[in-house]
Amino acid sequence: MNDVAVRLEGVTKSFGAHTAVSDFDLDIPRGTILGLLGPNGSGKTTTIRMIMAILLPDEGSVELLGGVPDMSRRSRVGYLPEERGVYPKMKVQEQLVFLGELRGLPRSDARKRAARWLDRLGLKDWAAKKVQDLSKGMQQKVQFIGTILHDPDLLILDEPFSGLDPINQDVLESIVREERARGKTILFSTHLMEQAERLCERVCLISRARKVLDGDLKELKRRERTGAVAVEFEGDEGWLDRAGVVDRERAGDAWHIPPGRIGHRELLAAALREEVSLRRFEVLEPRLHEIFVRHAGEDATEAPMSPKGGAR
Amino acid sequence: MRQVWVVLRREYLERVKTKGFIIGTIAIPLLMIGLMGLNIFIAVQAAGSDRELALVDFTGVIGEEVAERLGRRGYDIEVAGREVSLEELDRQVIEDELEAYVVLDDLTLSEGVFAYRAKDSPGGTRVALFESAVQDIALENYLATISTGEALRTLIEGGRLEFESVLEVEDPEEAEAARVTGIALGFGGAMFLYITMLLYGAFVLRSVLDEKRNRVVEVVISSVTPWRLLLGKVLGVGSMGLTQMGIWAACAGLLLLVGAPMVAVQFPGADFARIAGFVPGPEVLLLLAAFFIMGYFLYASLFAAVGAMCATEEEAGQAQLPVIMLLVIPFVLQSATLGGNAMAWMDWVALFPFFSPVMMFPRAVAESVPWWMTGLSLVFMAAALVGTSWVAGRIYRVGILMQGKRPTLRELVRWVKQT
Repeated sequence: MNDVAVRLEGVTKSFGAHTAVSDFDLDIPRGTILGLLGPNGSGKTTTIRMIMAILLPDEGSVELLGGVPDMSRRSRVGYLPEERGVYPKMKVQEQLVFLGELRGLPRSDARKRAARWLDRLGLKDWAAKKVQDLSKGMQQKVQFIGTILHDPDLLILDEPFSGLDPINQDVLESIVREERARGKTILFSTHLMEQAERLCERVCLISRARKVLDGDLKELKRRERTGAVAVEFEGDEGWLDRAGVVDRERAGDAWHIPPGRIGHRELLAAALREEVSLRRFEVLEPRLHEIFVRHAGEDATEAPMSPKGGAR
Repeated sequence: MRQVWVVLRREYLERVKTKGFIIGTIAIPLLMIGLMGLNIFIAVQAAGSDRELALVDFTGVIGEEVAERLGRRGYDIEVAGREVSLEELDRQVIEDELEAYVVLDDLTLSEGVFAYRAKDSPGGTRVALFESAVQDIALENYLATISTGEALRTLIEGGRLEFESVLEVEDPEEAEAARVTGIALGFGGAMFLYITMLLYGAFVLRSVLDEKRNRVVEVVISSVTPWRLLLGKVLGVGSMGLTQMGIWAACAGLLLLVGAPMVAVQFPGADFARIAGFVPGPEVLLLLAAFFIMGYFLYASLFAAVGAMCATEEEAGQAQLPVIMLLVIPFVLQSATLGGNAMAWMDWVALFPFFSPVMMFPRAVAESVPWWMTGLSLVFMAAALVGTSWVAGRIYRVGILMQGKRPTLRELVRWVKQT
């Protein structure tokens, strides 16, 4: 067993004239939370479908849990597709037991686990209802339970948060963190940068079928620091003028000072010299969105007009 | 194999638990049995009470004979001569001591006309029965006045075709009866096969299409191979079909058990030995099972492929037409031969695997083809099944994950070739 849960090498996939994923490399170490980020239509779902062997890459190779994504490896994955799919006429409990059994759980075990998860996600009273009688958000939670019921080593969640209210998003986030703490690997895609910033340890930014950059989120942010500073202090702001800071912007109680002629060391020295009573002095890390725009260009966040891929 | 079983069980339980299944399988046959039972009950009640009739014979010649003939059909008729008073009979009818009475007179002898006196006009069956009885006997009586003897009577009662086989048969009469039974059983079986293959095939199509349309297949396929999913599905629908047929067979058995004695009361002359001949024997049922299993799997795989390549029900409705034609053509051919004008080349057409259930089964039962041809058709069907499931499995595997427009024929070929 190696320490990589998913490895993509030079993966390319086209649908007719449209290239959905181009020369894509990615390693997901075991036991991390990786966010696959990109605007709609950038190739996230196609990538995930190739990892799950629903689509076969035209070129390149996909390695899943240490080998080719065959059935035995795929059964150790919990996969939540982008397009939600449930048996509408089945009862919630029965549906979950079915999915659990399909992945090799004994019936009684599947039943117990389903009950526990339903309880956890506040769906206990809905267990005997037909899935079609549930709201969209509840159906999505049911499907999430189906994804995680067999205790997979790897969770692949395609846009898991879309369509959930903030409370349920929090519940889902905490479950993802718990699974991570239990040593599981989580790959999820999203176009919501804030979400990724909160949850991910690693990110992979993708735009127009190509990987823009990937790596450890903290490291990435450190590397991408521009030298912008936020300062909060008591008293008047005259010392800033005296230090030569012309360009500044009020942000609540703080001032944001973009990178300019003065580095953050000089600024701190100026503050100490002037005996300013500082409450906060922070070298700002760029937001994920800024990093993304910086590397992919402003227009990259716009979804390209292209047909949605679906064929092998 | 456990996965196939899990899929099978889901498919089976989800179908059997629907209202449609319960209504279609249990309620409708029970309702029909109930209605038939009621019908027979009423008829039997009626037979017991309403059939007391009187007959006034002014001719003094044919009265006894008419009464006797009607008596054979379950009428209890008292014959009276001209001494009886019609007023008295009218009174008996009005006071419900008698249902009706018939008056035969000279006009009956010359023109076959007779009076039927009652409160209510008689039903169609009774009219026909009485008319033909009176006319026959009046005619016999008239002919007897111009010629005499048994010869004439024999001629009148004749007019019967007697089939004689040019083959050497020990008991031609029994052979003929067996032949008729064979044709009836064969056609009944062909019809049964046609309907069930069409019905259960459509169920398979629906099941595949639904799973594809609500995208659940993407989840399922990540933990089970398309092959096992398809196999479980087809077996699940098939088990549902067997359950349905089992229930129907039980209903039919019940009907025979309860209904037959009642019928026997109503039609004392009915030939039960002959009716019993139409109850299929074990070898016929075995043959039917073989053709059903082969035919069902053959068509289920085709219907599954159609379901997998479509995205909407409308599309599926169109795309399944070729498959339905494969079922309709043999049914039409088979129906055309029902009158006995089968042509020899059709025996060979019946060897075409997709036509075999509807065309070869009746031939096998009627023993109009040699046994080796039946065997050959089963072998052909098995071979075709291997082929169709290979092709359909491949179309299914690709098609269920495909969204968007229906593939062209060329794309289909590419799906099949893909590994």
